Amino acid sequence: MAYDLFLGCVIPARLPYLEASSRKVFEKLGIELTDVDGFSCCPDPTGIELIDHKSWLALGARNLSLCSNNGRVISFCSGCVETLKGVNYAIKNDPHAKEEANTILQKIGKSYDGSVEVKHFAQVLYENLDKVNEKVEKYLEGFKVAVHYGCHYLRPSEIINWDDPFEPVTIDAIVKALGAESVEYKLKMECCGNPVEKSDKDLSLLMIDQKFKAIQEAGANCVVVVCPACYQQYEFNQRDLNKKNNTNYNFPIFYLSELVALAFGYKPEELGFKFHRAKPKVFFEQINFSV
Amino acid sequence: MSIINYEFRNEVLKHNASLNYCYQCSTCSGGCPVALATEGKYNPRKIIEEAILGLQDKLVEKQDPNPWLCSTCQKCVELCPQKVELTEIFTLIKNKCFEKGLYPEGFSAQGQAVFENSVAIPYSKAILTRREQLGLPVIKLAPIDEIKSILKETNFDKNILKGGVKE
Repeated sequence: MAYDLFLGCVIPARLPYLEASSRKVFEKLGIELTDVDGFSCCPDPTGIELIDHKSWLALGARNLSLCSNNGRVISFCSGCVETLKGVNYAIKNDPHAKEEANTILQKIGKSYDGSVEVKHFAQVLYENLDKVNEKVEKYLEGFKVAVHYGCHYLRPSEIINWDDPFEPVTIDAIVKALGAESVEYKLKMECCGNPVEKSDKDLSLLMIDQKFKAIQEAGANCVVVVCPACYQQYEFNQRDLNKKNNTNYNFPIFYLSELVALAFGYKPEELGFKFHRAKPKVFFEQINFSV
Repeated sequence: MSIINYEFRNEVLKHNASLNYCYQCSTCSGGCPVALATEGKYNPRKIIEEAILGLQDKLVEKQDPNPWLCSTCQKCVELCPQKVELTEIFTLIKNKCFEKGLYPEGFSAQGQAVFENSVAIPYSKAILTRREQLGLPVIKLAPIDEIKSILKETNFDKNILKGGVKE
């Protein structure tokens, strides 16, 4: 089993420790990830697409044209997955989009036919849940996890074509397989608010405040995400929010790959946990979790 | 007073005919997290109504309601009983704002970074060191001339240099 790896921008260039845990998890599962030279930004479905759809389509098609040798590509980022799946869907199903993209790609001597299969890393983990179960060495006892699916992992369902757009189960199932508890909370399916930060920071903070409130009320003690935009919103804006509102949220924010890697027996030092703002070390002490 | 712009209306319809199906039931606004957080100040139904009527001045120039507040969560698209593709219609409206330079500055910075580096976040020296410490491979990015050729072809280069002004 092998996949091309599409890294995107945020994880490798700002949050490389999330890449480290993700790569380790796949290595342990024996699923080969191939690095491909020459990718650009996916481009961002909450950024570039909104200002210029045509550029988004063309750059996305160029990226996909680079992985056609393998035929299967995964990303650790929900935004990249949405773009790559969205561009793929357009090129496969809309002859005008296919022509539009290829007319542009012709200028750089490339073409794309829509034949690549795109997956989110959490999808591949869920599809290999038996293997994940086998590799767990250490159950995550005491972890009361608020699962945040995020929007682009699920919707638009016609394009993403994975899990239920409003009642998803996949990430909860993975978290439970690691021996952690998944805590139900109000607003579980709501947006983290990251995409509106570029337009209105206060609104973005209000949205994450509502999520934190609900998570706190439900008694969860940490949050798990599968998207670097959600990760930044929870992790970095937690501090901004505390400053602005005089609140004292201090939830450790984990990437799904970090929890899996921890359960697989990797040490916090190997996973770069020291780079977190809300320190996992303090959390582990609080819940008597020995690492 | 708002002016009906038939040309604009037809352009939206040509881009996405699902606009025709909207019967203004407001299911979209009922499910919208931003409408909830702004107590209805941001209202996706209203944007669609203005698009149906062809009110380009409200949508693009005045941006009332502000289309840049859409979080792209796609709940409205899933919920719509008439299968109106709201997010795609909003994208067209925002693309029009971009052509006129009427968009939040944050988008401009990201667009320029992609035009200059092929990625939204260039690799800093500190990050390259951190990657090495974490045992991560060196990433070879896209040849920038290819990216610039594509972005010149779509006029992205000219539009992005105008910059964003709408706060």
